[in-house]
Amino acid sequence: MPRYRMMYAKEGPAKYISHLDLIRAFERAARRAGLPIAFTRGFNPHAKLSFAAPLAVGTAGEAEFADIELDRDIPAGVVAKSLAAAMPDGLRLIEVRPVAQSAPALMAIVDRAAYTARAALIAPPQNETLQRTVDSFLARPEILVERRSKTGDKRKCDIKPGIFALSAHMDNDIIELAAELKTGSSGNIRCEELIAAFMEDSGLCARGNFVLSRRALLSAGGNLADLLW
Amino acid sequence: MNQLENILSQVKKPARYTGGEWNSIRKEWDKIELKTVFAFPDVYEVGMSHLGMHILYNIVNSRPDALMERVFAPWPDMADRIREDGLPLFALESQRPVKDFDIVAFTLQYEMSFSNILYMLSLAGIPLYAEERNEEDPLVIAGGPCAFNPEPMADFIDLFVIGEGEDVINELLDLVLAGKRANFQKNELLFQAAGIPGVYAPSLYDVSYGEDGAFSRIRPVRADVPEKITKRVVKDLDAAPFPLKPVVPATAAVHDRMMIEVFRGCTRGCRFCQAGIIYRPVREKKPETVLRQAAGLVKNTGFDEISLTSLSSSDYTPVLEVVKSLAQEHAGRGVNVSLPSLRADHFSMELAREVQRVRRSSLTFAPEAGTQRLRDVINKGVTEEDLMETAGAAFRGGWQAIKLYFMIGLPTETDDDVAGIARLARQVLALGRKSGVSRGRLKVTVSVSSFVPKPHTVFQWEPQERLEDLRRKQNALSSQTRERGLTLNYHDAGLSFIEAAFARGDRRLGSALARAFALGCRFDGWSEYFNIDLWLEAFRQAGLDPAAYAYRRFSYDDPLPWGHIDAGVSRQYLVLEHKRALAGAVTPDCRSGDCPGCGLCPALEIEPFYAGGDL
Repeated sequence: MPRYRMMYAKEGPAKYISHLDLIRAFERAARRAGLPIAFTRGFNPHAKLSFAAPLAVGTAGEAEFADIELDRDIPAGVVAKSLAAAMPDGLRLIEVRPVAQSAPALMAIVDRAAYTARAALIAPPQNETLQRTVDSFLARPEILVERRSKTGDKRKCDIKPGIFALSAHMDNDIIELAAELKTGSSGNIRCEELIAAFMEDSGLCARGNFVLSRRALLSAGGNLADLLW
Repeated sequence: MNQLENILSQVKKPARYTGGEWNSIRKEWDKIELKTVFAFPDVYEVGMSHLGMHILYNIVNSRPDALMERVFAPWPDMADRIREDGLPLFALESQRPVKDFDIVAFTLQYEMSFSNILYMLSLAGIPLYAEERNEEDPLVIAGGPCAFNPEPMADFIDLFVIGEGEDVINELLDLVLAGKRANFQKNELLFQAAGIPGVYAPSLYDVSYGEDGAFSRIRPVRADVPEKITKRVVKDLDAAPFPLKPVVPATAAVHDRMMIEVFRGCTRGCRFCQAGIIYRPVREKKPETVLRQAAGLVKNTGFDEISLTSLSSSDYTPVLEVVKSLAQEHAGRGVNVSLPSLRADHFSMELAREVQRVRRSSLTFAPEAGTQRLRDVINKGVTEEDLMETAGAAFRGGWQAIKLYFMIGLPTETDDDVAGIARLARQVLALGRKSGVSRGRLKVTVSVSSFVPKPHTVFQWEPQERLEDLRRKQNALSSQTRERGLTLNYHDAGLSFIEAAFARGDRRLGSALARAFALGCRFDGWSEYFNIDLWLEAFRQAGLDPAAYAYRRFSYDDPLPWGHIDAGVSRQYLVLEHKRALAGAVTPDCRSGDCPGCGLCPALEIEPFYAGGDL
């Protein structure tokens, strides 16, 4: 069945759509667009839609990926045009390309993600001081965060192996963090966990919450946007 | 990060508060003369499932001179956050404060949501009491089923709309617009509004009470204000405005699907049922209307399920043809057809097979009472044979889960009637096993609610059963239903007790409600928030006894607090039906052509409309 790869942004009100609701939103948009969605067989058929990596509620996504399968061949340009017009506020379709049936699943390719996080600080440091803080944070032998299992038990987890890059700089009183973090079914790190650990370690204090954005999804070899098609 | 974004990052399910959903309408604020907001006194997922809201939203927004936005009760975590930040309650579309609108329109779906109306007014910074609101404050109006006894809310609401809103909403908006242009004082506006049929302005009525403290009468303060307010009824459902572009919720609603109302009203005549009275007479939509609306909805919403809604959808005359056509036309796109509940009869099984062609879920039946004797008293024309035959067919047809709905505390109910619920449930379970459903998968769920006598029904004079007796019956049932595959659910009887007091209450209950809210009551329809002790304390502070309201047996001659509201069914008929109920005499379905004589059609100059079976 013909398969299409979609690059889209999730921003504005759509930042707050949960992953489960996002799947529904895409299926509904495809139906409104009049596309012949392919369904799985069985008692509870569902649309053949697969996403590269779930995004935390509240985090914007600038270049997200999902695949959809259709029952018949339609030019990618037509899919893109009709689907773009059927997306709700904040879900912005950037590009659609056909992909080979044999192409590996998105989830199998994604290895890491690039994030930015911004917040105002109560006592903003100098850029040099901030650099030393980042260096000493990354020099720690392990970076432990607390996670809850599904049963509610707390356990400590070392996220250091999954931090591929972290940098920070000040823009007046705004701190801007950029991070590259392990993403996928194993060893996944949430950007919020990293920020919480860094803020605790650095003693810095934010005014309000961080504004988070996932800039890109990456494979082990580079940016997905360059590799996927 | 702006203030709202900062708040949204800290609350549960922030998509409840963002707006921007598909088909939501955001008009240019400064270009529209009349601004209204539909206020649903429960959380987003519940409110977005309410068809009435989508209907009114469509009607008002199709006017060039008016806009309607939406606001839902914020979950307590959100309420705490906006209070801390000093933000007032805001509407979803423009994110403007609710108090900036000309009209705030609440729907009264359920007595236990009354506390949330005060909660929302308070979060909006609008004075709770109508008499404390000045010319700058919005006009607060309300409609919906609970407006049929508006008295407990009368202190807080400027105008009630009684009955169906499609026509009267425009008449009311025209008047408010004219008033705005002519700079009417609020009082003048209320007087004029009271002249619109179906509109009730409670401040224009005086209530008096007898020496025994009981309600004695309600009278208009001026001769030109009507003594009785008669419900509004839409004559032709095919011609009535129906939203083909409803807002598609951003986060899963309770009923996350297309809703097509196939008819309004119900002909069955169940004696406990308020909806069966207040939505009379039956008016069916023609099949071509339903199919056309479905096609529009599929295209405009993208939902994967079409629900044919009504009070009893398997009664829709052309239901089988319509379901077949819908399945044929839309199943290819993964769109499934569903009916909200089925009667336990042979026809329903045939229907269920059609409905389940695309997707299979559980079947729900509502026998309501456990014995034939009691089902005759309530005029629920379902027999045990019907139920067993249908359940057997369902099990053989591949269904593994069946839900059964019952009530306890019905008039004349004995312990044997209650035991009958457990007997019936166990019989259905045994039938499932006999039919070869695997033990692990077989599931019979019994949901038992406590009967609340509602205004305008045949049982309006009846007292509610005492709380301790309801609890005793619930306990008895739970010991009689301990069997693998059998699940018993029941509601908090204390909640039904407070619900009964408000359902049957008079205007004095406003002070109990205000005190309950002050004590922290909100989201009382949610068992995790309902706290009966707070309500009992509120009644005590108000000097009122909830038992006196819930347990009162009215005589036929007693004045009723809702007596000035006319639902169209004659008092004489209700008395006759009440006597027949106590005698266990059943009354035929009005659909049978054998008119039981409720008096509504001549009184409201309307007739039932059946769409016929031919497509």
